[in-house]
Amino acid sequence: MEFLLQLVLNGVVTGSIYSLVALGFVVIYKSTSVLNFAQGEFLMLGAYVCLSLAVQYQLPFAVAFLLTLVFSAALGMLTERIILRPMIGEPVISLIMVTLGLSALLKAIVQAVWGTDLRPFPNIFPATPVQLGPLPVSQGYLYSTASVAVLLLIFTLFFKFTRAGIAMRATAFSQQVSLSMGISVKRIFALSWSIAAVVSAIGGVLLAGVRGGLDASLAFFGLKVIPVVILGGLDSVGGAIVGGLVMGVLENLAGGYLDPLVGGGAKEVAPFIVLVLILSVKPYGLFGKVKIERV
Amino acid sequence: MRCGDFRQSYAEDMAIFDSPLPRWLLTALLAVLLVIPFFTGSYWLDVLNRIFIAIIAAMGLNIVTGFTGLISLGTAAFLAVGGYTTAALAGKAGLPFVVVIPISGALTAMVGLVFGIPSLRLKGLYLAVATLAAHYIVEFTASHWSSMTGGVNGISIPAAKAGPLVLSSDREVYLLILVIMVGMLFFAKNLFRTKVGKAFVAIRDQDISAEVMGVNVFRYKLLSFAVSSFYIGVAGSLLAYQARLISPENFPITLAIDYLGMVIIGGLGSILGAIFGAIFITLLPEMLRLGTDALGNTWPGLMVIVAPIKTGVFGLVVILFLIFEPDGMAARWNHVKAYWKLYPFSY
Amino acid sequence: MAFKKTFLGAALAVAAMAFHPSTTLAQAEIKVGGIFDLTGVTADVGKPYAQGVQDAVAFVNEHGGINGKMIKLIGADYAYKIDQARALYKRLVNDEKVVLIQGWGSGDTEALKDFVGQDKIPYYSASFSAPLTDPAKFPYNFFVAPSYSDGLRSWLNWVKADYTKGGGKGKAKVAFMFGDNAYGKSPLAAGRKWAAEIGVDVVDEAVLPPNFQDATSQLLTMKQKGVEYAYIQVTTANVAIVLRDAQKLGLKVKFGSNPYGFDENLPALAGPNAEGVTGLMPHVPYGTAVPGMKDLMATHDKVRPTEKGNAMYVRGWTYVMVWSEVLKRADKAGQLNGPGIKAASETLKDFSTGGLSQPVTYTPTDHRASLTSEIFQVQSGKLVKIAEYALPRTPEWLGL
Repeated sequence: MEFLLQLVLNGVVTGSIYSLVALGFVVIYKSTSVLNFAQGEFLMLGAYVCLSLAVQYQLPFAVAFLLTLVFSAALGMLTERIILRPMIGEPVISLIMVTLGLSALLKAIVQAVWGTDLRPFPNIFPATPVQLGPLPVSQGYLYSTASVAVLLLIFTLFFKFTRAGIAMRATAFSQQVSLSMGISVKRIFALSWSIAAVVSAIGGVLLAGVRGGLDASLAFFGLKVIPVVILGGLDSVGGAIVGGLVMGVLENLAGGYLDPLVGGGAKEVAPFIVLVLILSVKPYGLFGKVKIERV
Repeated sequence: MRCGDFRQSYAEDMAIFDSPLPRWLLTALLAVLLVIPFFTGSYWLDVLNRIFIAIIAAMGLNIVTGFTGLISLGTAAFLAVGGYTTAALAGKAGLPFVVVIPISGALTAMVGLVFGIPSLRLKGLYLAVATLAAHYIVEFTASHWSSMTGGVNGISIPAAKAGPLVLSSDREVYLLILVIMVGMLFFAKNLFRTKVGKAFVAIRDQDISAEVMGVNVFRYKLLSFAVSSFYIGVAGSLLAYQARLISPENFPITLAIDYLGMVIIGGLGSILGAIFGAIFITLLPEMLRLGTDALGNTWPGLMVIVAPIKTGVFGLVVILFLIFEPDGMAARWNHVKAYWKLYPFSY
Repeated sequence: MAFKKTFLGAALAVAAMAFHPSTTLAQAEIKVGGIFDLTGVTADVGKPYAQGVQDAVAFVNEHGGINGKMIKLIGADYAYKIDQARALYKRLVNDEKVVLIQGWGSGDTEALKDFVGQDKIPYYSASFSAPLTDPAKFPYNFFVAPSYSDGLRSWLNWVKADYTKGGGKGKAKVAFMFGDNAYGKSPLAAGRKWAAEIGVDVVDEAVLPPNFQDATSQLLTMKQKGVEYAYIQVTTANVAIVLRDAQKLGLKVKFGSNPYGFDENLPALAGPNAEGVTGLMPHVPYGTAVPGMKDLMATHDKVRPTEKGNAMYVRGWTYVMVWSEVLKRADKAGQLNGPGIKAASETLKDFSTGGLSQPVTYTPTDHRASLTSEIFQVQSGKLVKIAEYALPRTPEWLGL
């Protein structure tokens, strides 16, 4: 029983990081209907920039972190302007491909500039783990769970009550109508990409901090989180959170119970199988908006 | 100089090439391809083999994604299924390649059918991610069903044989691949002149209207997955015979992304597009290698960044193509052809 | 335009390759192929290894080469992808006509075995996978270290000794943690058998998926089963992740690591988590006071002054020392070809590498370079030798 509880708790805790990353995907999709396959690379780039600022330029960590957020916001806006703006109106497959191309390009830039070695990441969390019931949890994970909760609150309020948030939802619903209502679609796109990049940078720094080291494998998180986003529903903030936690728990349960039976690897496959099963019942994810198609 | 259309019979209207010139050029090209293996070194022969295999698989992906509009990230998985089936049939059962290749294709078609079932309910991105699930499931099976697949160590495949004929050299395998590729491309071209092909295109364009017009959408979606997977399975089988050794590491998710890139850069929904895309994406790393080798003597530190350069150039090329040439190379080719056909009257 | 240029370039390249006259080896040059992992999943150990090889080749060339002939190292990065290794191999053997290949990973080395045997190319792999030591199956494969299996056997001997010394009752409980690939699974079967023979209990085997960031569920299972010792068969960077998670869970497990998971980077990456961890080191840490280290350190400081020396660098260097000696012998016998180099390798008997590794011995029926394993431990961030086990050269274990 304790084993099960430990697995579930660990799942919730690692799942909170998935939720954080998934939030980036959802923010972009909610306003631009683009699934950004390069989100993992945003994560990685954010972490590397923070590392460089903190270690190479010897800035105090808080300053480095804030500068990283500024950099990510700029990166998001730049990406939107250069790469996504010309793709307005293109079919969804072209959008997928362009973000895949972007992810390859960013990965290559990171590899060329920083190399593939594992670099130690400064310890931003106190090392002593906190005891949550039967499971000792490293403080880094607690920080990430806390940030996810805070961000969830902020975004739900943002999309529901602020002008910018409502404008984003309007743009996602119909660009033409939004334009005719006086919403600057270009600015909305730039805003959503910046927000997503900033959220990813936070996630990247947290992940690197928890691991204590940073290398190119961080980008794989992007691909790993896509089933989370799909599970929760591409345009649902709450769905991203729930999806992340569910996936985290599923992964750990599969790892704990199935791995010994099949000799490993179940941790990777089980979430996908569950995803397909859930999609067959809810084709737009758990909380996604059902698209009504008209001819 | 010919200008405009002038057709006098249904046969002429349905013809693939509407003048003798393209037919002669095609024949000449085939003749050149038949003779080339006697002049090239073994490395470039290997590259040609890989290009032809890529053409077949890209054609398969184009059928399901370009012509039917169903985004599939399962290409690597289906290649693996084709390859491992061949390894089992040719290696363990010792069957001749004339039997092994069609059976591998058929088995992959059935697997593709199963993974196409979500297409009944899922659309667009959701379907793409469901096919991603197919990829990971197949990868898991390949790594863990060690008795059949050799697990992570991979499995070797004996040379293709059929009775007394043994294709042991790269040159002989090349001829096999060439013949199969030409046959399959011809079949694909004809597929899209038939009812089935047109149903695929109707589904891509507007599936609700297609359903209303009497096209059984679900049946044709499944058929599309099946045919596409058959092509990819045959490509995987030829890959097994050519490389003589496969392992799960041969089929990473980046391979599926590469194929998607081939199809998009080449041009969705066109046979020529699959050909161009396959040639381009397969030659890209080779060109880069030649470039970095040449520069490597003057700049020894280059060896370390060759891998990121490859990835980076691939990404950059994809982005540039999509921004400046969203319809792909085939569209550009057709523009150029049309320009020359009507020269000097461009309007 | 760009496409046209690329096409033209391709056409020219094809023409150049097609009409390239088949080369007879220039007499003043010996071509050796190199298959390295500089950017793939084992790059953390692959890169310093490749640097060691490159620097050692330059060193040999500066000091007379192979009886006056220079070694030309034609190396490339294959990013640990087996199909790229195959393409690279084809290019090295068919187009470049190398006489020896300095290889890397277990998966690709075992995959290429048929071609290596067919082409008769001596293949010195960085992989220490046991089957490669059996000349009946792999006549042209060599490596300069005890196999992973022999290393694990030695470590299990240490476990038994340590457990008894610590006053343990009954059988020590051991777990294996390994990556899901050929390198990861290599020593497991031998480990299980030997554990059963000496009275040690293997209670858990945990898979570490590629690119994993978290090993908590695997460690929780181990904790549940009461594991006391665990052997990790993944590369150093990944070992650091396991150690971090173990420390977080407060596990009281004594970890041991394989020859590619234990070098100076481990205490650097894992910090205090690495204290007390044991590991196999077939090649001594950088800076150990042995005769062979002098030239190595001098070269390293000259060529790479800003980088820290590393046991993997020492490993690459040692390999070159061994096969350049082999090339010298083959050249003296006038047999600078595949079978000749193989035969020359098999004349090595207790060949000394200046203390950088155990003496190397190959015979026509046994390619096990050495059966003595040295066990080191991290003490105050330094790698300190704590034990040495010399296994008997039993014919039954050949290739297992």
